[in-house]
Amino acid sequence: MANPPQLQDSSSSPPENRRSFITVFAAIITGAGATLTPLLAGLVAFFTPLLRKSKSPQVRVALLSQVPGDGIPRYFPVVADREDAWNRYPQQRVGAVYLLRSGEAADPIAYTAKCPHAGCQIGYQSGDNLFKCPCHTSSFNLDGSRSRGDEEVSPRDMDRLPVELRNVELDGGESVTEVWVEYIDFQTGHKEQHRTA
Amino acid sequence: MITPLRSVIDWLDDRAGVRDLVNEALYENVPGGARWRYVWGSTLVMAFVTQAITGIFLWMVYSPSTQTAWESVFFVEHSLTGGWLLRGLHHYMAQLMIVLLALHFIQIIWDGAYRAPRELNFLTGMILMLVVLGLSFTGYLLPWDQKGYWATNVGTELASQAPLAGAALKKLAVGGSDYGHQTLTRFFALHAGVLPALLVGFLGLHVLLMRRHGLHAKDPERGPDCTFWPDQVLKDSVAALGVLAVVLALTVWKGAELGSPADPANPYNAARPEWYFLFLFQFLKWFPGELEIWGAFIIPGVVVTVMFLMPWIGRSRAGHIFNVMLLILLFGGSAYLTAQALYDDNFSAMNERTEENQARYDASQAFLNAKQEAERDAERVVELALSPTRIPPTGALTLVYGDPFLQGPKLYKQHCAGCHNYVDPADPDPNLAHLVNPAPTAPNLYGLGTREWIGGWLDPERIASKHYFGYQGSPFTSDGRNSEMFDFVHESLGEEVDDEQRQTIKEAFQKVAAALSAEAGLSSQHAQDLADADLIAEGRKLIEGGLADVLDSGASCTDCHTFGEMQDIGSPVLDGYMSRQWLLDFLSYPADERFYGEMNDRMPAFAPHDDPRMNQLEQKSLELIVDWLRGDWYRPEHPAAASDSE
Repeated sequence: MANPPQLQDSSSSPPENRRSFITVFAAIITGAGATLTPLLAGLVAFFTPLLRKSKSPQVRVALLSQVPGDGIPRYFPVVADREDAWNRYPQQRVGAVYLLRSGEAADPIAYTAKCPHAGCQIGYQSGDNLFKCPCHTSSFNLDGSRSRGDEEVSPRDMDRLPVELRNVELDGGESVTEVWVEYIDFQTGHKEQHRTA
Repeated sequence: MITPLRSVIDWLDDRAGVRDLVNEALYENVPGGARWRYVWGSTLVMAFVTQAITGIFLWMVYSPSTQTAWESVFFVEHSLTGGWLLRGLHHYMAQLMIVLLALHFIQIIWDGAYRAPRELNFLTGMILMLVVLGLSFTGYLLPWDQKGYWATNVGTELASQAPLAGAALKKLAVGGSDYGHQTLTRFFALHAGVLPALLVGFLGLHVLLMRRHGLHAKDPERGPDCTFWPDQVLKDSVAALGVLAVVLALTVWKGAELGSPADPANPYNAARPEWYFLFLFQFLKWFPGELEIWGAFIIPGVVVTVMFLMPWIGRSRAGHIFNVMLLILLFGGSAYLTAQALYDDNFSAMNERTEENQARYDASQAFLNAKQEAERDAERVVELALSPTRIPPTGALTLVYGDPFLQGPKLYKQHCAGCHNYVDPADPDPNLAHLVNPAPTAPNLYGLGTREWIGGWLDPERIASKHYFGYQGSPFTSDGRNSEMFDFVHESLGEEVDDEQRQTIKEAFQKVAAALSAEAGLSSQHAQDLADADLIAEGRKLIEGGLADVLDSGASCTDCHTFGEMQDIGSPVLDGYMSRQWLLDFLSYPADERFYGEMNDRMPAFAPHDDPRMNQLEQKSLELIVDWLRGDWYRPEHPAAASDSE
């Protein structure tokens, strides 16, 4: 360990001083190099998640025929390939969406079931006229808006997801319409939408 | 002292100065004598030592990955000899440690023991408290059960809202955007490595500083001084034993909880933090919208900062009074918020539902239901994991997803309950209350295929009820388009039939029901079907045309239905009626001519196409629904039943 009184003593003679400065400097550099290199290697590996970008998957969630135009939300699990470190899980449930259509001619609207407040899954009971979050009791109208506006703990309305309808020709010459959504994960707790990825 | 021992001690003392060390450690002066009020610090050390010991042994079994975390904890709990005790000690000591910390903290503030020259004692103590809370938070996730997973998810989600680096911090803690392997490895490294190392370091400092300044005696003139050993040590040990007794009692009485395995796709609607974080949870409900950062960061941050500054605030008498008031406010407030959180969650159990309280009541009821359902799920997964097939390498979630008992009600609720009812009319099961449809537009599927259920179709009163053909808009009642079955049953047992004849017909119908029910091949009726072979044979004869001799009308089942020797008559075909394959085919395409053909006016076809992309439900889901409706799932009391059905 360094001994301050000795350092002070050595300052009285200039040549000694320079030598001791070099010694101190060299000791710090080599010592730091020896200890910081492994620390840095560890930190770089530790910070890997910040350097990785993930993409929101495009997911087929339902057939259009599964979403009647009665304005009642229907719950659909979101099934997509999921990667977790060294594993790849094909076709896993990664979340859920509510689809609803306000008329047979209308396009479906998709809401992610993730609550914009703290990320719990918003529930819906058929017959209700509200979506309800089980955690901190946020509730939303069927158009996704907060039922009590700014008094609600949720800082914003339910997050809508982009919907795309795709016609698929099948072998027999028939075709079906599929509902695809871009399953975006939004940061919770903010007034504006920010993607997490 | 025995000479050889003395010489060993002398040898050690010459080289390491052990006598001084021991004297310093044991013969610390206790001003005013040993007292019970000094035990709290020591009990905390003892609690930490317990956690270190039990933690290291748990570490020898625990395996942090999404396919092995829950599984290894299950192994501790159910397979290791005394594993439940080891885990119980670790689980409950963690909780008691929070209580002891609170007591220690209250005492330090109350007595003003934080004042000069003990500021650094206090600061290291505050850091230790934060480290212990960090250990609690990280430890809650490690079993990777639904409760820990979803509660911690909310916790990290909130952390991500912290100003500036929140989102990055969350990513670092979680090891990516989503929870997974890296979340477990990181939380485990924090829980078993980083935080304990910090704790040991700061605890060393804390104790050293305490020794340097001596014990803060409340009342040094109270009696003669004594030394730490043995007087105070005895009191400390008795207190430590008391703490252990409480932990043991909790372990034996309640055991450490293990929920069902974490399922990222199925949220746990009763997710709550551990009881000591409940006040924070409740506090958040006060802050709507973006004000949340006040509840989650700013106010708690200010409070913790003020707590760190207490030794300086407490220099004056007024400052000390301020500290004591703040202490009372903090603990009183936390107790109030905790009580409020518990009351909110249990509101529906203590109150009647009224106009004004319905939102609150419903939220509480939903919480209690979710909690009860989660407990049942957890029991069931354990049952499956203990079965002879054990847990597959893909993890316990595979068991959950493949179990009709767990998945059936969920799939049924999503795809069937909109029209069908599912309730035992004689004895409604409160556990299945969420599957009751008060205004069904299709038959009740409870007990489908059983003798009892089939018997209802042959009973004039029951067939007219909403549980059979009497539902809203039914085309199968006497004024409907397809009233043949309904009319047949009513005519067969009409008013003009005399009592003797009625009895004969009823007996014949019972045989018909037994024979038809045998077609289903239900595992629950397996033994009964074997025992009643003769009855079933008679019933088969009746269905194949014998009924015509019993009924005045001369009608029989095979006038309309195909069965046994009477093929190509009509539908629904009764061969294999309600058997697994019959039901799978039926759900796939109910309008098939084997089933309802043109009579089918509302039942959707769930998988009519060969190309699975066109179907509403995939084969696996159909099988789970059918197996659940038929009661075909693994039962530990009849391990053979499940394999029969496969």
